[in-house]
Amino acid sequence: MSSMAAPTAERTASVKTGGRWKFFIGGLLILGAIAYVTLSSFQTNAIYYLNLKELNAQRGSLINQPVRVNAPLDRSSIQFDDKTLVLKFNLKDENLLLPVVYKGVKPDTFEQGESVVAEGKLGTDGVFQASTILVKCPSKYESGTPAK
Amino acid sequence: MADFAMADLGYASLLLSLILSLYAAGAAFFAARRNRLALFASARHAIFVVAALTTLAVGVLEWALITHQFRFEYVALETSRAQPLLYNVSALWGGQEGSLLFWAWLLAVFSAVVLIQNQDKNQELMPYVISGLAVALSFFLALMTIVTDPSKSGLFVLTPLTANGAQALVGNPFRLLDFTPLDGNGLNPLLQNPGMFIHPVTQYLGYVGFTIPFAFAMAALFTGRLNDVWIRTTRRWTLVAWLFLSLGLLFGMQWAYMELGWGGYWGWDPVENASLMPWLTGTAYLHSVMIQERRGMLKVWNLGLVMLTFVLSILGTFITRSGVIQSVHAFGVSSLGPWFLAFLAATLLSFLYLLFNRMDDLREENELDSLLSRESSFLLNNLILVGAAFATLWGTIFPMVSEAITGKKVTVGAPFFNQVNGPIFYGLIVLIGICPLIGWRRATAENLARNFLRPFVVALVTALALFVVGVREWYGLFSFSAVAFVLATIGLEYYRGVRARMRQYGENPVKALLNLISSNRRRYGGYIVHIGVILAVVGIAGSTFYQVETQANLKPGETVSLKQYTLRFDSLPIYSTENHEVVSASMTVFENGARVGTLSPEKDYYASPNPDQSQWTTEVAVRTTPLEDLYVILAGFDAQAGTATVKVIVNPLVVWLWIGFATLVAGTVIAALPDPREARALARARVKEALAQV
Repeated sequence: MSSMAAPTAERTASVKTGGRWKFFIGGLLILGAIAYVTLSSFQTNAIYYLNLKELNAQRGSLINQPVRVNAPLDRSSIQFDDKTLVLKFNLKDENLLLPVVYKGVKPDTFEQGESVVAEGKLGTDGVFQASTILVKCPSKYESGTPAK
Repeated sequence: MADFAMADLGYASLLLSLILSLYAAGAAFFAARRNRLALFASARHAIFVVAALTTLAVGVLEWALITHQFRFEYVALETSRAQPLLYNVSALWGGQEGSLLFWAWLLAVFSAVVLIQNQDKNQELMPYVISGLAVALSFFLALMTIVTDPSKSGLFVLTPLTANGAQALVGNPFRLLDFTPLDGNGLNPLLQNPGMFIHPVTQYLGYVGFTIPFAFAMAALFTGRLNDVWIRTTRRWTLVAWLFLSLGLLFGMQWAYMELGWGGYWGWDPVENASLMPWLTGTAYLHSVMIQERRGMLKVWNLGLVMLTFVLSILGTFITRSGVIQSVHAFGVSSLGPWFLAFLAATLLSFLYLLFNRMDDLREENELDSLLSRESSFLLNNLILVGAAFATLWGTIFPMVSEAITGKKVTVGAPFFNQVNGPIFYGLIVLIGICPLIGWRRATAENLARNFLRPFVVALVTALALFVVGVREWYGLFSFSAVAFVLATIGLEYYRGVRARMRQYGENPVKALLNLISSNRRRYGGYIVHIGVILAVVGIAGSTFYQVETQANLKPGETVSLKQYTLRFDSLPIYSTENHEVVSASMTVFENGARVGTLSPEKDYYASPNPDQSQWTTEVAVRTTPLEDLYVILAGFDAQAGTATVKVIVNPLVVWLWIGFATLVAGTVIAALPDPREARALARARVKEALAQV
């Protein structure tokens, strides 16, 4: 949507030409640079976003690779050591189970969590070391059906 | 039965508003094409009635929220008896249906104001402006009123209109339940924060506000009146909308900082990005219009930017409300998606169609003269701002796109956004310093040397001073010396203006400064905005690069130390308030051994009859000084043993982020004040347009 592009012929005749191209090329260079930085950082930072089935299928190649997992939370498995601030829980999808360890403050809505998005790395011991976690509640800010 | 009658009243108001909006859209358009003045007047009146009716609908919903009409599904979901009045009032924008109503209401009121302002101005543009605004209004009204299953609506039975569970396309705010619950669920405790009262309102005012300049842009395209009259007419609307987007960002960041309890105010979360993107393109637009006003250039670019800002505002509403993207601020999944995407696509296509039809009328009146000119530095600023918006958009929506195309879900987090936007924003900061000092059309090397020598020296001295006090990281040195450079250039600009006035009019410095600002509010208000941005950069750089933290499990009497602070844990009082229980860790703060105060981080428990709805929230405690925030989180506690686990964070310079935004707001207000200079410019533009028509 560059607007520098289209002055009419009679105008360009009266003003010195060549000026336009400087701007056009300069603008393209800058946009190109921004696009390059965007795409290259995207490639270095892009990580797979998987469910447990996909994670399990590719687990050999994903060991110690950054990955984001989204899976249902097994609420009965939640353990929080509030002295050392270590949170342990299991993500569970049918017969697949993924133990997750997260070091940090437990999110306020964790106990109501339906599913968890965890970003981190899968260790060789099969435990997922999460660096960030995001809880998905049934509907976080919109509560469920009111009780009768 | 009051609830039935009121629900009907609310729903009927919206339905009638929809019909009148559709009528206004068609009538105004037809009136313009066939030059029917009476029809145009009728469309105007329809908009006024819509503004009144949507106000009535908001009044009805507020009445229900405040008086606990739990038969209203929305009231039962968003409020409760124990909830303080403030949060019952703000529940209007707490849920999806209410948010849609709030959007529609703001737009209707804004439309009415625009009509009054332009009662005898812009007579050629106004019919199309009304038509465009009415189309947008109809869209939001339709989402609330058109029912998916007409057999259930009871629409033609009229008794009761809404009681039969009429489920609208997206959400009918006046839907009634088939029973009356004794109490409601209440707003999620995380939303029960003063931020709830102010952040969504300012955010929506900003989003909705950009509809006005966009409607004028479309009208300009329809009529072919593509000079700067439409831009100058909407200058203050644009500024005010931008002001509210800025306030929305400010209050959103403060809320996240105090409520989410992770010590930060910005996490590149999709919902946060959604509020940043229209702000970036809106900022670009505020700058690029100056080139069209002065030189008659960048016409297509300006139209494109205002369209982009409007589309990103709609997208922002959509991302925030729809839950299509995983977010910490997720609002639950909804059926908004297809409708919003269809509306966005329709907007984009009609804009492009009009634009290509008008290409001949969009010729530039001038050419750029020199790479070293105000124009080209504005262009660079625009490319950078739009580039940042696109990079942010790319990272935000790519997960959806990649899943749709390849079936693989790939995503990026904060590191991506920091890596891309970091350098972009550095470039922007330097430009803020350079831009105002380069002359229009063509600057010379001599002119540059004269303007930049002193600021450059100031930057070097700052870097040296920081190096001497022990700052060694290049990013810290660069950020703070760039800040010094920009402040020096702006200071120099003010100094010259004040000195000139003192010489010319013999004014004292204070009077000269005030008169300087009011002689050209737009320019000097703009510089104040720049100072605000630079102060915000100080806060962002400090808290991003120099945050330190520690955690400790403490028995009463034990201490934890971080930097020059020592915190002693004294006791763990537990008590009740109006609607929640409080566990508070009472701590005494010592700085370099001297007692400086107390801090009490809390965990609050909101009990609910439904155990699944009961919830803890974390209330951080913060001690703010100009140099740093001492930020304490109660992460865990043992009520029986009386012990507490706290996380302590020192966030340097955060207060400058808030001061910076406050300064930015003040500068924007100055720039938006009525300005005789701008009024004269608009009058000249109108005369020029009239002459061109002859």
